[in-house]
Amino acid sequence: MEDTRILLAHGNGGRLMRELVAEIFARHLANPVLDTDADAVALPPLDGEVMVTTDGFTVQPLEFPGGNLGSLAVHGVVNDLAVAGAEPRYFTLSALIEEGLELAVLERLIASFAAAARDNGVAVVAGDTKVVRRGEGGGLYLAVAGIGVRRAAVRLDIARIAPGDAVLVSGPVGDHGIAVMLAREQFGLSGELRSDSASVLPLARAVRDLPGLRFMRDPTRGGLATVCHEIAHACGHSVALQEDAVPLRPEVVSVCEMLGYDPYFLACEGRIVAVAAADSADAVLARWRVLPDGRDAACIGRVEAGGARLILHTALGGRRVLDELEDDPLPRIC
Amino acid sequence: MPEREARRLSLGGRVQGVGFRPFVYRLAHAHGITGWVRNVNGAVEIHAEGESAPLQRFSEALLAEAPPLSAPGTLTTAACAPAGHDAFAILDSAADREADIHLPADGFVCADCLAELNDPANRRYRYPFINCTQCGPRYTLITALPYDRPNTAMRDFALCPDCRTEYEDPLDRRFHAEPIACPVCGPHLAFAPSSSAGEPSPSRDKGRGERDARAEAVRSTISPLSPTLLPAGERASDDEAALAAAVAALRAGKIVAVKGVGGYHLMCDATNDAAVAALRARKPRPAKPLAVMFPDLDALRAAVHATAELEAFLASPERPIVLLPKRAGATLAAGIAPGLAEIGCLLPYSPLHALLLADFGAPLVATSGNLSGEPVLTDNAEAQTRLQRIADAFLHHDRPIVRPADDPVYRVVAGTPRPIRLGRGSAPLELDLPAPLAEPVLALGSHMKNTVCLAWGTRAVVSPHIGELDSAHSLDTLAQVAADLQQLYQVTAARLVVDRHPGFGYRRYARETKLPLVEIWHHHAHASALAWEFPQHEDWIVFAWDGVGLGEDGTLWGGEAFTGAPGRWRHAASLRPFRLPGGDKAGREPWRAAAALLWETGAAAPFAPAPLHQAWTAGLNSPTSSSVGRLFDAAAALAGVCTHASFEGEGPMRLEAMATEKGETIALPLARDAAGVWRADWTPLLPMLADDARPLAERAATFHLSLAQALVDQASRLREDTGLARVGLTGGVFQNRRLAEAAIAGLEAAGFAVCLPQRLPVNDAGLSFGQVIELLHS
Repeated sequence: MEDTRILLAHGNGGRLMRELVAEIFARHLANPVLDTDADAVALPPLDGEVMVTTDGFTVQPLEFPGGNLGSLAVHGVVNDLAVAGAEPRYFTLSALIEEGLELAVLERLIASFAAAARDNGVAVVAGDTKVVRRGEGGGLYLAVAGIGVRRAAVRLDIARIAPGDAVLVSGPVGDHGIAVMLAREQFGLSGELRSDSASVLPLARAVRDLPGLRFMRDPTRGGLATVCHEIAHACGHSVALQEDAVPLRPEVVSVCEMLGYDPYFLACEGRIVAVAAADSADAVLARWRVLPDGRDAACIGRVEAGGARLILHTALGGRRVLDELEDDPLPRIC
Repeated sequence: MPEREARRLSLGGRVQGVGFRPFVYRLAHAHGITGWVRNVNGAVEIHAEGESAPLQRFSEALLAEAPPLSAPGTLTTAACAPAGHDAFAILDSAADREADIHLPADGFVCADCLAELNDPANRRYRYPFINCTQCGPRYTLITALPYDRPNTAMRDFALCPDCRTEYEDPLDRRFHAEPIACPVCGPHLAFAPSSSAGEPSPSRDKGRGERDARAEAVRSTISPLSPTLLPAGERASDDEAALAAAVAALRAGKIVAVKGVGGYHLMCDATNDAAVAALRARKPRPAKPLAVMFPDLDALRAAVHATAELEAFLASPERPIVLLPKRAGATLAAGIAPGLAEIGCLLPYSPLHALLLADFGAPLVATSGNLSGEPVLTDNAEAQTRLQRIADAFLHHDRPIVRPADDPVYRVVAGTPRPIRLGRGSAPLELDLPAPLAEPVLALGSHMKNTVCLAWGTRAVVSPHIGELDSAHSLDTLAQVAADLQQLYQVTAARLVVDRHPGFGYRRYARETKLPLVEIWHHHAHASALAWEFPQHEDWIVFAWDGVGLGEDGTLWGGEAFTGAPGRWRHAASLRPFRLPGGDKAGREPWRAAAALLWETGAAAPFAPAPLHQAWTAGLNSPTSSSVGRLFDAAAALAGVCTHASFEGEGPMRLEAMATEKGETIALPLARDAAGVWRADWTPLLPMLADDARPLAERAATFHLSLAQALVDQASRLREDTGLARVGLTGGVFQNRRLAEAAIAGLEAAGFAVCLPQRLPVNDAGLSFGQVIELLHS
């Protein structure tokens, strides 16, 4: 490497590009299936129902307390497969790199990607890099496709949700949104709060065979409230959350209080929202709470017949309607 | 035999559901007129035959002696051929498609019924549900039109023979009184303790245990809401027992949820500090003023100052809440309206309340039985559940409330009581449009203080107060009221009219109706509602000062002036804009607006956390605003009067209450911005407000006077620009009497004519109607 930063030439198909792929991508991501010289690879036979998903990743800043774009991308795709009841197996990776990105940063992010993939039993089997001009990309964008397998016994379906079902969450919500925002704005607040960016695979494995489990989803953009809206729209019933049951870290609460944000709409990157038959709720909680990322799991509400709304039952007995996110929320106190 | 003539008379307006046909029948008898009367669509049609002179007297009496609840419109008269009728008859209603329906509001018990209520010889003596064609519930009880008993909440109460006789006798004043009832066949009271009221209630009554035991005994003999459970005689005596148990609980300092006409009240002894404190702690409602119901005008006079005109208004069938100045040395609990100079007062508005207050013998707190910002609760089971932690006991009855109507509220500004809230007795508010609409529309109003307005042809009907649209209950009520108004008036909206703000709570409801939407700017609707009240004026200067509404430039307006007329308002003046840290939170926490003003001028705000300043600098959740409401909040916070509001408007209300008569006037610089809009700069007010060397009350007065002067200055510039000399004041800020009256005085001294709304609330409750007017002219 002749330079410490990405040049447009790193994307021109020549020597710099070859070196970049070899020294950063291939070195960290190496595995028996990956062949950087091939146009396409054949996957070994898969045992079970084949599941596929794809996702793109961007975050500012690229590195934040508790994670970075690399680990975030792996967790995002792992989590999508995990909440569908699958075991992740193979990923592809497409990296869009902005001219001027420090090579050291790129290497840290890809190393982090590789480590997270290994931790989740995932092999990266194909990849691509592109370089975009300065100002046309946020440092690095990652696009990942994931392939996993699911055993036939797992029956998760949003359509199985029925009134009376319990709504559960595997841990405190909003950590990622606040941690990244604080890192981005470089607030002088103490760095205690970390993103929750993590693989939810252990949490999903622990409960996916429970017959009473109806549905799982990992809240990301739009947070807990948006997942609840998705559930409400899909099943036609309302989700009623109990305000004082939703786990929130004190740091998240105090930042939200100060800046006027609603924690229910803040992004998470390592949580599961699950819907389970009421009599299975305790079993889900019991299995989650013995896991490191499930200690603060809680039953946060239930499904109520009709309305397809998200309602927050407040500590004072109010029933506040949480609307879907529009644009930036504007004050409406007149 | 003198020659007989015949006339065909027709009367529109509010003539149905108010005993108009029986009135015509009795009038015909009195004047020896033969013929018939019938309802035709929304009007009353009369065929009258008789000699010339009595016929003339009969025609004149139709308007002159019309029943108090009616509001007949124009009388049209045409001569016709006599048909030789030898009697006068009430004919069945004739209906066709083009109905012109009028829906009466709920009214207080009339003088005749009140006399019977207090007459031991009358069969309705002390019967809490006495009514007749001239009084009692209407809007809250009608399920469908035509207004017949099967279409009311009284459907399931079968008439006893005595009531049926009255109901069917055209000469009886209860002829076709649809909610007619008596102790034998009508609704009854039921007293029930709460299953889990908050902490033990404060008590100043030594005989509490005994009374509780009595209440328990009462409860065990009554099964609430089963009108046929007990023989009639026993049930009548149980009304007295239930009432006595409620009075005993109130005397013992307990909080009782009382079901009225349009919803539940939470009531407690208004002279018992501990009871009032308990109500505040449990609701929780730390500071928002509580309304007080007085047994009679004498009791009211002992607590507040009221003019003869206001006393007459308080005693009118509407029975409104009127904010009146506290009298020094009154015995009301200090916690009724802490930090404020006025108390919301009302007189008993139903026979039940008349009995309750007479038996209790002293003023009672009468605050809406709801959770803050939600519509008042109407359903027995729901009230029992949702108020269980607040109320110690419930005084239910078994007449269902079909839809809620909270108490109407008025405040005197510039010598006239002006509505702050539309409700029982004042709504549905039926208004005439200056021109016909192309198609029926439903206007959904604002997110706060929501009302809806159904409009078609040249008619508009504004609903009672619904509430803030954050809660499921409010949104459900909005949907119900919207459906009910369309069904009752037999009009189907072809279009919805909504505020431009994309986040108002009704947006999802609006989308789901699949109807086309028309979006109206918030402050245009305010200005147009005002303009409608004064149709003689073509072009205006209108000041629309309120909290926030989305403005045409994408910022949050609230200190705007416009020139023009409905359909063509031009933004002409405003405030120097500032950015509100924390967005919506600034509406609840006045210190944020104070920080915004300081930061905007480059000053420090030591009371605000540093990261918030950083967020504000970075533009995080810090929308730009020109709101006078927020300016008031900032003033209240800078002066140390209110840094955290426990209810909307607390800072401005307290600031107004403490302002002395005298203050100075600080000139606010006025300059045109790039768009040609005059902007007043509030900067000179900041050092004055924070100047601890000045008495607080003087700072408060100076703030009001300076803002009023800034308004006059803006009006003067706009007059120079346009030649207009007619000024309208609208928006919730002008509920502030001190500001409104100072502005009016200054404007009039400068040669302006000034108008302030009187029929519709100046606040967001008037917005739904204003949206219709704006649509009509665009």
